[in-house]
Amino acid sequence: MGFITPILSASTARAASTTMSLWESMKPPEDISVHGNLIDWLFGYTTYMNIFFFALVCAGLFGFSWFYRASKHPKAYYTYGNKKIHVIVATIIGLSVFIGIDMNITRMSNDDYVGVFANWPTEKENPVKIQALGQQWAWHFRYAGKDNLFNTEDDVVQLNDLRLPIGRKVVIQVLSKDVIHSLYFPNARRKVDAIPGRLTRLWFQPTKAGNWDIACAEMCGTYHYRMKAHLTTYSQEDYAAWLAEAGEKALQENDIENPELFWGWKWQW
Amino acid sequence: MAFFEQHIHSEPKTFLSKYVFSFDHKVIGKQFLWYGILFLGIGGIMALMIRWTLAFPGQAFPVIGNLLFPETGGVVPPDTYAMLFTMHGTIMIFYAITPILIGAFGNFLIPLQIGARDMVFPLLNMLSFWLAFISGVILMASLCIPLGAAAGGWTSYPTLSTLIGSPGAGQTLWTLALFILGISSTMGAVNYITTIIVLRAPGMGYFDMPLAVWGLGLTAILNAIFLPVLGAGLLLLIFDRVFGTTFFLAGAAATSGTGDPILFQHVFWIFGHPEVYILILPAWGITSDLLSFFARKPAFGAKATALAMTSITILSTVVYGHHMYTTQMSPLLTQSFMTLTMTISIPSAIFFANWLGTLWKGSIKFPTPMVFSLGVVFVFGLGGLTGLYLATVTTDLYLHDTYFVVGHFHYTMAASVLLGGYAAIYFWMPKMFGKMLNETLGHIHFWLTFIGLNGVFMGMMIVGYAGMHRRLYNPFVYDFLERLIPLNTFVTYSALLMGVAQFFFVANFIHTVFFKKEKATDNPWEVGTLEWTVPSPAPVYNFKEIPVVKCGPHEFGNPNLTGDRDYQFQTEELV
Amino acid sequence: MNNAIEVNNIEGRKAVSSIGMTVLLVSFAMLFATLLLGYVVFRLTNDVWPPMGLKRIPLTLPTISTFIIGVSSLFFYNFEKAFNRNNLKMMRLQFGLTLLMGVCFMLVQFELWSSMKELGLYVSGGAYPSLFFSLTWIHAAHIVMALISLFFLVPTLSTGFREDRITWVMNVGKFWHFLGLIWLVMYIVMFVY
Repeated sequence: MGFITPILSASTARAASTTMSLWESMKPPEDISVHGNLIDWLFGYTTYMNIFFFALVCAGLFGFSWFYRASKHPKAYYTYGNKKIHVIVATIIGLSVFIGIDMNITRMSNDDYVGVFANWPTEKENPVKIQALGQQWAWHFRYAGKDNLFNTEDDVVQLNDLRLPIGRKVVIQVLSKDVIHSLYFPNARRKVDAIPGRLTRLWFQPTKAGNWDIACAEMCGTYHYRMKAHLTTYSQEDYAAWLAEAGEKALQENDIENPELFWGWKWQW
Repeated sequence: MAFFEQHIHSEPKTFLSKYVFSFDHKVIGKQFLWYGILFLGIGGIMALMIRWTLAFPGQAFPVIGNLLFPETGGVVPPDTYAMLFTMHGTIMIFYAITPILIGAFGNFLIPLQIGARDMVFPLLNMLSFWLAFISGVILMASLCIPLGAAAGGWTSYPTLSTLIGSPGAGQTLWTLALFILGISSTMGAVNYITTIIVLRAPGMGYFDMPLAVWGLGLTAILNAIFLPVLGAGLLLLIFDRVFGTTFFLAGAAATSGTGDPILFQHVFWIFGHPEVYILILPAWGITSDLLSFFARKPAFGAKATALAMTSITILSTVVYGHHMYTTQMSPLLTQSFMTLTMTISIPSAIFFANWLGTLWKGSIKFPTPMVFSLGVVFVFGLGGLTGLYLATVTTDLYLHDTYFVVGHFHYTMAASVLLGGYAAIYFWMPKMFGKMLNETLGHIHFWLTFIGLNGVFMGMMIVGYAGMHRRLYNPFVYDFLERLIPLNTFVTYSALLMGVAQFFFVANFIHTVFFKKEKATDNPWEVGTLEWTVPSPAPVYNFKEIPVVKCGPHEFGNPNLTGDRDYQFQTEELV
Repeated sequence: MNNAIEVNNIEGRKAVSSIGMTVLLVSFAMLFATLLLGYVVFRLTNDVWPPMGLKRIPLTLPTISTFIIGVSSLFFYNFEKAFNRNNLKMMRLQFGLTLLMGVCFMLVQFELWSSMKELGLYVSGGAYPSLFFSLTWIHAAHIVMALISLFFLVPTLSTGFREDRITWVMNVGKFWHFLGLIWLVMYIVMFVY
C-alpha cells in the first residue's frame, strides 16, 4: 500500500504543474543578468558540438554492430589498425575533437572569464557593494549605509533577504562563519564558495525586477536544503526608496552594544 | 621476462587456509568480488532511499522504511539523508567499484593473463584483503553509533568534516576507515606493479600484455602514487578532530586557528582526480579487450590504446584544479587547469576511434559480455563529452555542485565502471567458478540496467541544467525547482528499474555459483589469451608449465590460419 | 605452501624485492611530500613567520636529531656490510648501535615536543605548532615502525649471513635510510629555514 500512495500523489503534483510544458521545465530558470546569456550560449554551443560528435560515436557503435554482425559478415577483416591511413584517421578524429570543441570552448570561455566574470567592477563604476556572510543555515547581507563604510552602526543588515537595483553592477564579497557554503544565484547563472577565512567575490548586473531565489550550493550540514535566501530586484527608484527607509530603520534599531552585529569587514577593492 | 619461476603450490587442505586466509590470488580475487558485490547492494539500497526522498518527500520508504526509521514512521529524516548520500558515495567508490575491478579482477587477471602462478607477494595480497575487510567493518559500524555516520559528503570538505560541522565519532571512523583502506590499496598496488614487472611469462613484452593488464597496471601506479596523498590529508583531518590541531580551521570558527580549509580540497583533489581514472582505467582495458574478442579481429591500434591510457594517466595528475573553480583560485591557475583538462580529450578521442575501429569490419557476436562492453562505449561517450561543460570555467560557474555534475560523474564513474565490471564478471565467470552465467538472464539484466541508468543519469543532468543543486533533502522548498517534481519522479522510477534489474543478476549469479551443475569448457569464448589455455576453473597453480608467449593477445581472423579456429593462443607462433 | 615465492636465484629475488620496495618507498615519499607541501603552503602564505607572535623553535634539538639519525644510518650501513661478509661480531656491534641510535632519536624527539610545549607551542595553538607537531609525529611513527622492523633482523645475529634473510636486511636498510633522508629534508625545510 505504502508503495502506491506516492505514485498517486505524484500524479496530482504533476497535474498541478501542467501550466509549464515538460520542455519548458527542463530549461534553466529565467536569466536576470546582463551576462548570464554568455553562459547559456556557451552551454548551447558545447551541446551542439557534443551532439555532433556523439552522433558519430553512435553511428559507429550501432552502425558497425548492425552491418558487421557475425551472421551477416562472418569473416572479419584482419588488421591491427597500424596502417598509415588508420593512424591518420585516428589522429584526425582526435585532433578534430580537440580543436573543434575543446580549444574553441576554451578560448571562448577564457574570453568570457577574463573579459566579464573576473573583470571586477572598479571603484569608479560605483557598483552596489554587498557583503555576504554564510552561516549554518542562513545568509546575512550587509549594505554600507549612508557613510559608505562597512562595519559601522548605520549598516543595513539583512537576514536571508537581498534587495538589488536593476541596471547597476553589483559586487558581493563573500565570507563564511563556520563551514564552507556557496552563494548561488540560479537566475544569474553565478555562484561562488563562501569560505571561512578567505574572501571570495562575485559580480553581476540584474536586468529584471522581480522575486527570485538564492541558494547554498555547497553541502553545509543537515539543513543545507533550508539555507535559502530571497532576492528582490527593484527598479532604481524603488531601490533608492527602500534603501533610504532601511537605512533609517537600521540607525534606529541597530544595537551598537551587540558585537554579533559587526561581522563585516573593510571593503577590499 | 620473468625474473624467476614460481614453484607450484600444494593444494591447501583446511577450510581456513583454502577459503579464508588464502594466499591464492584467485581466492583473494573472489573474496574481493563477494565483498564488492555485497557493498554494491548496500550502496544501491542507499541510492534508492536517496532517490525516493527526492521524488516523494515526506513519504515513507516502502518495505524497509518502517524498520530503519521507526521514529519518523518510515520517512528518511534529513540528518539520515546526509549520511545516506555520504555513505552511498564512499561505499560505491571505495568499497564497491574499487574491490570489484581492482581487487577482484586485478587479483584474478594479472597473474593469469601474464602467465604467472601467483602474485609476487601472496602474503601482502592476503593482508590487503583483510585490511580492506577491517576497513569495511569500521565503516559499517559507524552507521550504528550515536549521532550516526559521517554526513559531510564523500568529499568531506572541512570545516564541515571537522568538529565544527560534525561532532560525534562517525566522521572520525569514516576517516580512519578510508585511511586503512588506503593502506590496503597501496599494498595491492605495490603487489600489482611488481608482479607485472617481474612475472611476465618468457617472451611477453609490455605490448603483448592484454589491455586489461595495462589498465590495471596503470591503475596500480596511480594508486601507489596518489593514495598516500589522500592518506596525508586524512591524517591531518584525524589530527584536527582528535588532537585539536587547526590545519583546516579558519576564520570566526577557530579559536586561534590560521588554518586553511581549501588546503584539504587541494590535497583531496590531487588524489581525487586520479582516483576517477583509477576507477575507469581497468574498465577501459577490459572493454578494449572484449571488443576485440567478440568482433573477432585484432584490437585496432592496440599500442595506441595502451599509450593513450598512459598519457591519460599522466595528464590526470595535473588537472585536478577543475574541481575547485568556484573557490576562486587565481585566474592564471584557473585558465591553466581549464586548458590542461581539455587536452585529455585527445587521448580519449583516440580511444573512441580505436574502439570503433575494432568494431569496423569485424564479425561481431553479441553475448552478454559484449553487449556490456558496447554499453561502456555508449555511456562513456556521454560521460566524457558532458565533462566538457564542467571543465569550462564559465559554464562550471553555473553547473558546479548541481545535479549536472552528479549526472556526469555517474556516467563516467558509475555507469561505465559498473557496465565494465559486469562485462568482466560475465566474461571471466567460467574461469573463476567453472560455470557459465545464463545468457538470457544476462541480456535482460543488460537492457534493464542500460535503460534504467540512462534514465537516471540523463535525468540527473537535465535536472541539474535546470538549476537543481546537489545534496538537497527536499529541493522543492525552492520556488524555481518546483517545476522539477515530475522529472525527479521519472529519475526515481528509472532508478527503481535499475534496482529491479540487479535482481536478475543476483539470481543468475547465485544460481550459477551454487546450484548450476553444468560445467563450462576450458575456452568457451574462443579467445587466445593465456588464462584460456588452462582448465576452467583455473587450478591452484594456474600453469603447470610456465607458458612461453609468442604472439599478441588479440590474434583473431588471421587469413593464414588453417583449421576451424579463427583465433590463436598467445603460446602459438604467429602464422 | 606459505613459501610461495621460492626463487631460483638470489639475484632475481634481490631485484624483485628492490622493485617492490622502491614502489613502496615512492608511496611513503608521496605521503611526506604532501605533508611538506602543506607546510610550504602555510609558510609562504604567511607574511610573518612564525605567525601570531609565536616563538621559533631553537635549532639545538633538531640538529641533535639529525646528527643521531645520520649516524644511525651509517651504523646500519656497516651492519649490512658486516652481514654480507658474515662478520658476526661486527654485525652484533653495529646492530646494537643502530638500535641505540634509533631509540635515542625517539628520546630526543620526546624532548623536542616537551621543549615546544615549554615555549608555549601547543598542539591546538594554531596552524604553526600544529604543523610541527603533526609532521614530527608522523615521522616518529614511521621511526617506530622501522625500529619494530629491526627486530625481524635479530635472528641473523646468531646465524650470520643467510641467503633467505638477505632481502630482509636490504629492505629494512632501505626503509631506515629513507627515513633518515626524510628527516634531513624536514630539518632543512622546517627548522633551518
